Amino acid sequence: MDKERDVEALGGSAPSPLVATAAWLGFVYLLLPSLIIIPMSFGDTREIVFPPATYTLDLYREYFTNPTWTGSTIQSIRIAVIATLAGLALGTSAAYGIVRGSFRGKVLLGALLLSPFFVPAVVKALGFYIYFAALGIQGTTLSVVLGHTLFVTPYVMIVMMAALRNVDAQIEAAGMIMGASRIYVFRKVTLPMLRNALIAAGLFAFLMSFDEMIIAFFLSGFGTATLPVKMYESIVHEVSPVLSAISALLTFLALVICLAVTALSGRSGRQPSH
Amino acid sequence: MYFILPLLIYMAAVFLLPLLFVLFTSVVSETSGQLTLEFFERFFTHGLYLRVLKTTLEISLIGTALTLLIAYPIAYYLAKQTPKRRSYLTLLILLPFYTSILVKAFAFMVVLGYNGVVNDAIRLVLGEDFVLPLLFNRFGVMIGVVHDMVPFMVFPIVINLLAQNSSIHKAAEIMGATRTRIFWSIIFPLSLPAVAAGSLLVIIRLMGQFVTPALLGGRTDIMMSNLISFHIKDALDWNMAAAVSIVLLLLSCLILLALTRVRGAQLFGEQPRHG
Repeated sequence: MDKERDVEALGGSAPSPLVATAAWLGFVYLLLPSLIIIPMSFGDTREIVFPPATYTLDLYREYFTNPTWTGSTIQSIRIAVIATLAGLALGTSAAYGIVRGSFRGKVLLGALLLSPFFVPAVVKALGFYIYFAALGIQGTTLSVVLGHTLFVTPYVMIVMMAALRNVDAQIEAAGMIMGASRIYVFRKVTLPMLRNALIAAGLFAFLMSFDEMIIAFFLSGFGTATLPVKMYESIVHEVSPVLSAISALLTFLALVICLAVTALSGRSGRQPSH
Repeated sequence: MYFILPLLIYMAAVFLLPLLFVLFTSVVSETSGQLTLEFFERFFTHGLYLRVLKTTLEISLIGTALTLLIAYPIAYYLAKQTPKRRSYLTLLILLPFYTSILVKAFAFMVVLGYNGVVNDAIRLVLGEDFVLPLLFNRFGVMIGVVHDMVPFMVFPIVINLLAQNSSIHKAAEIMGATRTRIFWSIIFPLSLPAVAAGSLLVIIRLMGQFVTPALLGGRTDIMMSNLISFHIKDALDWNMAAAVSIVLLLLSCLILLALTRVRGAQLFGEQPRHG
């Protein structure tokens, strides 16, 4: 997209004050939770009020020393790392097959592979619950990993399909004309060019799995609960003030991954599309 | 083609089979082992299930309308910015999009509760006796779900607005059309495919909401997802959980079907075709 046309989008004139006001009210609404949670996280351990009466680090101390929270956080990280790696492998390979392949029913197959994205989370969770119970692995960490792998793969596919469309297929063709196999070209030519997109997709998939609560809520047992499941149970039963500190940390994680993904996709998206 | 095979096999084993298990559980009684439609019959005759279905549809449709109302001005405002400013402002949409739904729900509990930020402000101005019920009711659910959905609506509309041919807007301007007229007779109609695509995507996602109605809603704001969870976790009635799931899945499929019919909807990141 060239700059000149961009600046003149929609006729070029500045948005009217009415539109600007509505938009900024919208921005405030969208940012409200993040803006509220950060000062709250420095409150004390007795009550949840905004703004806090005193500013302390007690809630963070409580989070980092309570084994319920640290244990479930480690569990979440373990699951998210494995699900991300599996999702990257399955999703990238499939994205390559869809974008580069030429066979009948390609569009339909692509839609089918992305369909888990459109199935409500609870329906997937119930399916896993009944199915894994029949297999005898319901309640295990493995069951959550398997579920989360399916959950993150469509996101990986969407990012990688977009990135692959920006990689010149002729460079790959040149490799194959010179006698390299398709798999070899994929590993040695395509993958290095997709490095930024792979990191972006991986970070996004990690966050999706790390924050996912519904599948984990259905599948995890007493000892295998993830951080979001523990948070949900805490909100439903007691609303512990430590939730403010956890929420602030999660907001910070979201911000870091958001900025990283934006920077990475900006860099790989600069190539002109053919 | 071989590159697709691993995912196809994985999906057959960890997606298709689980869904078939749900379908099976919805029509085969756990107690008698007989093939039966009694669970669907119960769904469509009992007050509880019909009420939850109605609540789910209400929240989805009203939530989508409110989302559009908030998202459109944001999208329009973003489209009017220079690319550099737009990329900064887009971060304001992306941050909540990346933030955990639990964090957002928890924050809104703090904002909307009886001792929350809003009610504190109201008491400060109007006196101790004034309290608005903003939480554990339909209002709380709407605040939460609309907040969650706005980014999904903003992105397709911004892409559409930026892709519109600005010469048409210029031509209308030269011929003396006012800004309002240009918007309502050119820009808005041209953006309708994106509005339709965004709305359908939002409806699908709203129908499956679980966390927000559970945490910000009251007893009458239970949605189908919460009902499924109740049947599995508390009532231990797998048959009804499966039947409700199948109804929810069919509703989602119906809307997905409509979504594929929207012209120029740019599903799955396809490039827009010219001409």
